[in-house]
Amino acid sequence: CATSRPKASKDTSFWSGRLALTVHSEPPQSYSAGFELRGAPAAGELQLTSPLGTVLASVHWSPQGAELRQGVQLTRRPSLDELTADLGGTPLPVAALFGWLQGQTADASGWNADLSRHSEGRVVARRLQPLPTAELRLVFQP
Amino acid sequence: DGLQDLETFLREVKSAQASFTQVVTSPKREGEATARSKTSSGRFEFQRPGRFRFEYTKPFEQTIVADGQTLWLYDVDLNQVTARKQQDALGSTPAALIASGTDIKGLSEAFDLKAGAARDGMEWVDAQPKAKDGQLQSVKVGFRQGQLAVLEIVDGLGQRSVLSFAQWQGNVAVKPERFRFQPPAGADVIRP
Repeated sequence: CATSRPKASKDTSFWSGRLALTVHSEPPQSYSAGFELRGAPAAGELQLTSPLGTVLASVHWSPQGAELRQGVQLTRRPSLDELTADLGGTPLPVAALFGWLQGQTADASGWNADLSRHSEGRVVARRLQPLPTAELRLVFQP
Repeated sequence: DGLQDLETFLREVKSAQASFTQVVTSPKREGEATARSKTSSGRFEFQRPGRFRFEYTKPFEQTIVADGQTLWLYDVDLNQVTARKQQDALGSTPAALIASGTDIKGLSEAFDLKAGAARDGMEWVDAQPKAKDGQLQSVKVGFRQGQLAVLEIVDGLGQRSVLSFAQWQGNVAVKPERFRFQPPAGADVIRP
């Protein structure tokens, strides 16, 4: 496509695409957004956008903790898992995302990822436990 | 000026079809040489009051349809449909500016409207969202010779989205089913 994808250097990288998270609770919860993922598991930023390009939420994390910005609202949590649980109803395996997006298996407790269509820019990860089960679908520019 | 163009547009243009290009630019982060921007394009149609269709075809397929009651969003790759009540979802979104009712009064409930300075060969309206949730920072509507040409949206975090319209056909008869949406079989339908 028009913009060439910058060569992701080992320590910091940039990925963009769309994600859909479905939690098979009663009733099921679903969430979908465009995403931009920067940085690394230790410290970085995940930005979630609406189809018309406006930012829905922006999550920053570092060893000191994690921060969620939605419009004027700012929420701080000691850990990224707690923060993303507020956002999508279940902790988002952000650290594992970096691995999956690079086509490498990465462990995230309870999650396993199908990387078979990684070259087409598609990854589906399923969390088997703890219940309720959840599914994360990613579409991105490989 | 821009405000008169908007009033005329709301009153006289009952429906339209056009192509659009959307460029979304996020603020430059330290360590990044230039600001990142993403371009997408597709077809746009609307029928007053309150029905429109954004059909993105590049770089990915996504369809947004407002049928008057429900705002449907279908992401083809994710095979997922999100359905929201239209008035909750539309309130102060830019789409409301284009496809809403036929007069300025309706719009000024959600936006503070004032004429902006002419630039780039266009007359502008600055629409300041009244909602203080900080989601949208500013919306600008550009008219070229009275025809809707550009929509500039800056959100609370400085992400800038510019929608430019082309091949504009105003007051064309648009088939009603263009503003109806039926979730495809097997698609995951969410009603947040």
